[in-house]
Amino acid sequence: MSDTPPEGTPSAAAGPPGEDDGHTLAYGRSRHHPPPRGGPAEVGQPAEAAGQPPGGPGGRSRLRPPQRSVLERRFARLGWAFALPGLFVVLAVTLFPIVFSVAMSLSDVDVSAGGFSLSGFTTGHYGLLLGSERWRHALVFTVLYTIGTVVAELILGTLIALVLERLGGVGRSWMMALLLLPWAMITVVSAQLWAYMYNGVYGILTAASESVTGEPVQFLGTRFPAIISMAVADVWKTTPFVAIIVLAGLMMLPTDVTEAARVDGAGAWTAFWRVRLPLLRPALTIAVLFRILQAFGIFDLPFVLTGGGPGDATESLALLGWHVMFTNLDFGPGAAVAASTAALVLVGCLLFLRAFRSQVGEEEAGT
Amino acid sequence: MRIGRVRLTWTHLAALLIAAFVAAPLYWMAASSLKGPEEIGANPPDLWPPNATFENYRQAFVDNNFGTYLVNSVLVSVVATTLVLSLSAFAGYALARLPLRGKAPIMVALLMISLFPTIALAAPLFLLMRDIGWLNSYQGLILVYTALNVPFAVWILRNFFLGIPKEMEEVAWVDGASPVRTVLSVILPQARPGMFTAAIFTFTACWTEFLIALTLNTADRFRTMPVGLALFGSQFTVPYGTIFAAATVSVLPIALLVLVFRRAVVSGLTAGAVKG
Repeated sequence: MSDTPPEGTPSAAAGPPGEDDGHTLAYGRSRHHPPPRGGPAEVGQPAEAAGQPPGGPGGRSRLRPPQRSVLERRFARLGWAFALPGLFVVLAVTLFPIVFSVAMSLSDVDVSAGGFSLSGFTTGHYGLLLGSERWRHALVFTVLYTIGTVVAELILGTLIALVLERLGGVGRSWMMALLLLPWAMITVVSAQLWAYMYNGVYGILTAASESVTGEPVQFLGTRFPAIISMAVADVWKTTPFVAIIVLAGLMMLPTDVTEAARVDGAGAWTAFWRVRLPLLRPALTIAVLFRILQAFGIFDLPFVLTGGGPGDATESLALLGWHVMFTNLDFGPGAAVAASTAALVLVGCLLFLRAFRSQVGEEEAGT
Repeated sequence: MRIGRVRLTWTHLAALLIAAFVAAPLYWMAASSLKGPEEIGANPPDLWPPNATFENYRQAFVDNNFGTYLVNSVLVSVVATTLVLSLSAFAGYALARLPLRGKAPIMVALLMISLFPTIALAAPLFLLMRDIGWLNSYQGLILVYTALNVPFAVWILRNFFLGIPKEMEEVAWVDGASPVRTVLSVILPQARPGMFTAAIFTFTACWTEFLIALTLNTADRFRTMPVGLALFGSQFTVPYGTIFAAATVSVLPIALLVLVFRRAVVSGLTAGAVKG
């Protein structure tokens, strides 16, 4: 993990003690370092300015004081005193359960009224998953659903951001306020709302479809319409998030780049496609990362909108895991579903951060 | 000039279309919450409530327990947000300024934890809370929400702290202010926009969280708004009027919060997403 800091993480921070990321307080160190500070890219340390991975070149120790001063150790202790309460809570309530979840997925779990016990090591739960039609279906559904919705959101979000960028002024400010509403809404509320609009008897969308095609469409009644309908509800709620991030990215781009492209004879389309879109890549990458991870763990929407149905058409991995654990009370197989979902997310996360870092690395090397 | 005007009109048209798509479902929710039972089930539906009534609101908050759910949601979200801010302010400060080893791994680990699917935590937390008797309690949910939101708040606050010039706190240290006092009276006032942003994000996350609340607090008295809204009604009838009355009430506070502080929200979205 330590070798993949995203942008904004001091790339030198994982190094040996006494390192300086340009932000750390100067106490107890000034006597070793006569003040070369003045900017994040410090004059005497070109290796760090280029963003080299931690533990890199051997020439580093030359720049380092051999030991930490008393004051600096005191500051480090103070830092831990400040950071530990927060980190401890996170550790206790998230990391410990994750580890426990993995342990549970690998043992025989016995849950009774009085308590629960883990005994013996078994990979049987994972074997059960691999042999289960339902799990394979949930996996395929979740992956395809994630890809489909994220691609749709990315395209729509970028289009919306471009419209809002042109709009400018007060109109843009109000549009952004409006876009924040679906984002801040309880997912369960939007799920109930869409369930009502899709309702086969009195839903407004059913009525609208009847007036268009002459035949009422049963949105949630059959397999593919149900999947598409759920995706539409999801896209409605989360596209604004993507649009706002892309818009912020657009607004941070220097205007002279576009103007230069125009002067060179590029049309608006070429200027966007060839010049601005590549510059937007960091903003888009992170928006996509956030959305992929959220979509992969989707639970509230199918729970309320479709209940995973019809049949198991819209059953996501999270929904399947929850049902196995809390409806069937099969904690072992349920934990295997949960742990495998988490593992997939972790792999995706690492791949993405790696891709992102190499991207940032390129940009930093260019400057 | 004319070309400019035509282009402007198209932009406006597109913006109106977007606004309509975003706002229409919201309008439909508010309009339906004012309809009587026959109009709710009418086919074709009335686009405007013909006889607007607040009967659904009475049903939701007097005849049913949505008042309790609302209070539970407010209580859990406010306490968790307060805890998250106090823990993350100090942790974020330490990770921004003090010479800790392994800052980068800590920050990356926090980012990953803040994105982790909560389904992986549901079962162990359920068994843990059952063992210590915190199922169906406020403190259990508050503890979990605090832990789930500290990571992202630390990210946001650390980014803000990095933007504050360090001369002032160096002066405070030299003047002999205690570390805690330096953070409270020198750093935090300067990081107020960051605190706002972290607060709104944490509050929104707690307000909308469903999976953990559904797992830990099943008793009616301890349900939060999302759980109450999801489980309301029987298998055969879903009383949408009552649900939308409660839903509209649940959307209002967060909508106001987001509209008033939309600058802070947008800066949080971009700080969290663009900066990392």
